[in-house]
Amino acid sequence: MSTLTVGDRNIALDKDGFLVELQDWSREVAEALATRESIALTADHWEILELLRQFYQEYQLSPATRPLIKYTALKLGAEKGNSPHLNRLFNGTPAKLAAKLAGLPKPTNCI
Amino acid sequence: MAKSLLIISRQAPWSGPSAREALDIALAGGAFDLPLGMLFLDDGVFQLAAAQQPDAVQQKNLAANLQALPMFGVEELFACGHSLARRGLDNDALSLPVEVLDNAALTALIARFDQVVTL
Amino acid sequence: MTTLHVIAHSPFGDERLASCLRLLGPQDALLLCGDATYALQAGTEPFAALQAANLGERLFALAEDLQARALDSQLAKVVDYPAFVELTLHHDKVNSWL
Repeated sequence: MSTLTVGDRNIALDKDGFLVELQDWSREVAEALATRESIALTADHWEILELLRQFYQEYQLSPATRPLIKYTALKLGAEKGNSPHLNRLFNGTPAKLAAKLAGLPKPTNCI
Repeated sequence: MAKSLLIISRQAPWSGPSAREALDIALAGGAFDLPLGMLFLDDGVFQLAAAQQPDAVQQKNLAANLQALPMFGVEELFACGHSLARRGLDNDALSLPVEVLDNAALTALIARFDQVVTL
Repeated sequence: MTTLHVIAHSPFGDERLASCLRLLGPQDALLLCGDATYALQAGTEPFAALQAANLGERLFALAEDLQARALDSQLAKVVDYPAFVELTLHHDKVNSWL
């Protein structure tokens, strides 16, 4: 367990840095989580994070890498829904890291 | 070529861990790109009922999770017509795009896969 | 491809046996073990269902489970564990009804 401080809020993280309470998430929290991972969020990152939150809304689970790629390709087209693009944005572990920044639970079937 | 696996899920959604376990096998296998099929048989067809509200019994939404199967590459989805009819479920009002099979087609389905597991 | 179906649950108040008989192929076999051997209790519904299925040489039951339950086997071929293993090898796959 550790704590993330955003403004005057203290937010609990699990040992892998995922939110303990998913409703703690906000855009500011995402920014702070990204800073911990040395990532500066750009529009390219944000559209994937929003897509992930949509995925979770729809299926109530966090995607593994393949379904993340497939869903991204379906919603944003093949030039976004491919592993080089997603790996570049999220340090080579898109399913895990993007889920973390989007405030989702850790994907269980992650390779 | 990886061996194909048919997962037969035949327990109701909220009674115990079986339905969840069958789905977890399918999702894990799908994430690894294994050729998978899933068949809903007996009480397993109750997993396909529309508009379930599992939060009323403090459960995760298995029905929503099932929708993710095609995203995980599991697109061969089947249900037993006899089981659906016996349980008063309408083939056209199911929450997943399954192919409804009669008994002879079920026999052929099981024969077609390299491996079968029934949960 | 042939399938050996293996059932271990009692057929009374459980659908495994009925469903298995419904989707059993003409080359498939059925092995009863554990409480599933109660299906061989003469004069019962599951016994009648097995008779009607007319599996002949394709119905098996595990010897020790019959013995433990004081069941005899007019209908099924009795096998021990080595013969059970042999059976699994004679079929392309095994479907265990867990």
